[in-house]
Amino acid sequence: MQLIKLNDHLWEIPRQAPMLVPGRIYANERMIGELRDDPALTQVANVACLPGIVGYSLAMPDIHWGYGFPIGGVAAVDAQEGVISPGGVGYDINCGVRLARTNLEFAEVEARVDQLADALFAKIPAGVGSEGAIPGLSMAELRQVVTQGSEWALRNGYATRRDLEHTEEGGRLSGADPDQLSERAYKRGAKQLGTLGSGNHFLEVSRIDRIFDAGLADALGLRMNQVTVLIHSGSRGLGHQTCDDYLKVIGSAMARYEIRLPDRQLAAVPISSPEGQAYLGAMAAAANFAWCNRQVMMHLAQQAFLEALSISPRELGFELIYDVCHNIAKFEEHTFEHRQRRVCVHRKGATRAFGPGHPALPEALRPFGQPVLIPGDMGRYSFVMVGLETAMRETFGSSCHGAGRVMSRTKAKAEARGRDLPAELKAMGVTVRARTRAGVAEEMPAAYKDVDEVVRVMEAAGVTRNVARLKPFAVIKG
Amino acid sequence: MSNESRDTDAPLFREFEHTGDVGIEIIAPDRDQLFRRAALALASLLVDRSRVEEREEREVSVKGETDADLMHDLLAELLDVFVVDEFVWRDASVVCRDGSIKATLKGERFDADRHQFRGEIKAVTYHQLTVRQEGTDWRARIIFDI
Repeated sequence: MQLIKLNDHLWEIPRQAPMLVPGRIYANERMIGELRDDPALTQVANVACLPGIVGYSLAMPDIHWGYGFPIGGVAAVDAQEGVISPGGVGYDINCGVRLARTNLEFAEVEARVDQLADALFAKIPAGVGSEGAIPGLSMAELRQVVTQGSEWALRNGYATRRDLEHTEEGGRLSGADPDQLSERAYKRGAKQLGTLGSGNHFLEVSRIDRIFDAGLADALGLRMNQVTVLIHSGSRGLGHQTCDDYLKVIGSAMARYEIRLPDRQLAAVPISSPEGQAYLGAMAAAANFAWCNRQVMMHLAQQAFLEALSISPRELGFELIYDVCHNIAKFEEHTFEHRQRRVCVHRKGATRAFGPGHPALPEALRPFGQPVLIPGDMGRYSFVMVGLETAMRETFGSSCHGAGRVMSRTKAKAEARGRDLPAELKAMGVTVRARTRAGVAEEMPAAYKDVDEVVRVMEAAGVTRNVARLKPFAVIKG
Repeated sequence: MSNESRDTDAPLFREFEHTGDVGIEIIAPDRDQLFRRAALALASLLVDRSRVEEREEREVSVKGETDADLMHDLLAELLDVFVVDEFVWRDASVVCRDGSIKATLKGERFDADRHQFRGEIKAVTYHQLTVRQEGTDWRARIIFDI
C-alpha cells in the first residue's frame, strides 16, 4: 500500500481506481511502521470507494482491522447523492462512553474500594443469563425506549433533565422508526436494558491523576484526585441483531442500485432508497436504546455508590460530564473546500469531536468544545479531551475512540494462561470484578496499545486538546 | 443425516488470530459434519460444553442460496437460541439438503455458573466467511464479532 507522509501525524493513501477520494490516516511514524502490512489500510482504501464520499476516507490513530470499515474509520458522504453502509456503523450501534463526576476524593473511598466494586457488580447486570435491570419490559415499552432514548429514562425516574442536556443528541436521535426493527431484535433487547454486556465493555471507577488544562478541567467540573465513573457499552443484542438484519437487506439490494464494492461487509445503498431509509430508522432506534441503556446503568451506579458508601446524593454529587457515541452515522453540516455541505458522517470506532461554539453543544459546554471521552485499558488510564476547530476543518468533527488492540483475544488468553490477572491488577491498584476469567484475560492491559500515544497524535494534529487523565481503581466487567 | 458419534475429544475447530474478535476454522469429512461442528464450536465459544446435559431437544431450520449464507444464517439462528431462549447444547445433528439445513440441538436451559459462561458473541460476521470443499475435506472459516 502506497503511503505519502503529509506531516508527522498524517499520512495519505493516494487515490487510485476504484477509489473516489484519497485515504488519510492519523498516526505517528512508529504506528505507521506497524500498520504498513495491515489489512486495515486496505479497508481505508475500500471505504474510499463508497459512492458520494466527500473529501477523504479517514482513519484515526486507534485504527485496526474491522469488518468492511476499519475500526477508527470516518467517512462523510453527501446527504443527497451518497450511500449509507451499516458496516460503517458496526454491529454495536451507538456503542459509546459516558463519564460522570462525583464530589468525592480518592482518599475518601480508598478504604472501601472492595465494597464499592461489590455493590457495582451486584447492581449492574451483565446481560446474558441474568434478568435485565428493568425486568418484564413489554413490547409497547420497548417501542417507547427506542423512540425516546434517554427521555424514556427521564420519564421513568432514571435520569435528570441535566443528564439529557449532557448527552450527544440529547440522548435521542431523531428519525427513529420502531417499525423497522425486527421481532428478533426486540426479543434480544427485551431483557438487556440496563446491562453492561461483555467483550470490551466495562464500568470503571477512576481518580483523576493528571490535569493537562486547568481552565478546561474546571469548566467541565474536573479536579485532581476526584473520583469519576466511566461506562462503556452500547445497544446490546437489539443493536447487534439490527446490524445483522440490515447487512442482509442492503447486501441483496445493492445490485438493484448498481453499487459494486470490494467487500460484502461494506454493503451500502443510496441514503434516499427505501432500504437506506429503513436502515436509518432502525439505526436511530437502536442508538436510542443504547443511550437509554447507558443512562439506566449510570442510575444504577449512583445507587451502588450511595449504598456502599452510606452517603447522601448531595454528598455524592453524581453528575454526567458527557455521553458520546462512537459507532454511528449522523447527518451534519460541514464546510469542506469552502462549501457548506450536508453530509452523513459514518463514525466506526470514532468519536464526534465538535469544536468550541458549535450549536449542537449544550450551552454550558459550548464555549469549551465537546468533551471527547477515550477509554484506555483497565490497567493504565483513560482520557478526557475536547474537540477543537481543526476537527471541524479536517476530520468532519471526529477523533479517536480508544486504545486499539495490539493482541488478538486468542493470543491474550494464551498469554494469561497460568497467571492470576485479577491479582496482578490488584497489585497495580486496580480491583476487578468480572463474570468470566476469559473476559479479564482477553482484556488484559498488554492486549491494548498505550492509549496515551493515540491521544497524543490527535492533540499533535490539533484535532482535540487533552484535559484530564483518569486512573482506574475499580473495574466491573460483564 | 449425521451418524458421527459425539466427538467432544476430537479437535472440532481451531481458533485463528483476528485482532479484536474470534475467528474459527473447521475441517470435516462431509458437509453435514461441517455444519454440525460449526454448531458445536459456537456452543464451545459460549460455554464449557462438557458441562451441558442433554435434557431437551430444539430444532432450528434455515434456508439459503449459498453454503456461506447457510453457515451465517444457521449460526445466527443458534446465537438467537442462546441469547433469547437461553438454551445451550452439548451435541447436535444436522441434515443438509439443497438450500436448507435442519439442526437438532441436544442440551438444556443455560445456567451461567454451572456452564461456565465464557462471554457474549455479538454476531456472526460475513467478513472473510468461507465454506468450501477441498479434495475430500469440507472447510469453513467464520469470524464472530465479540
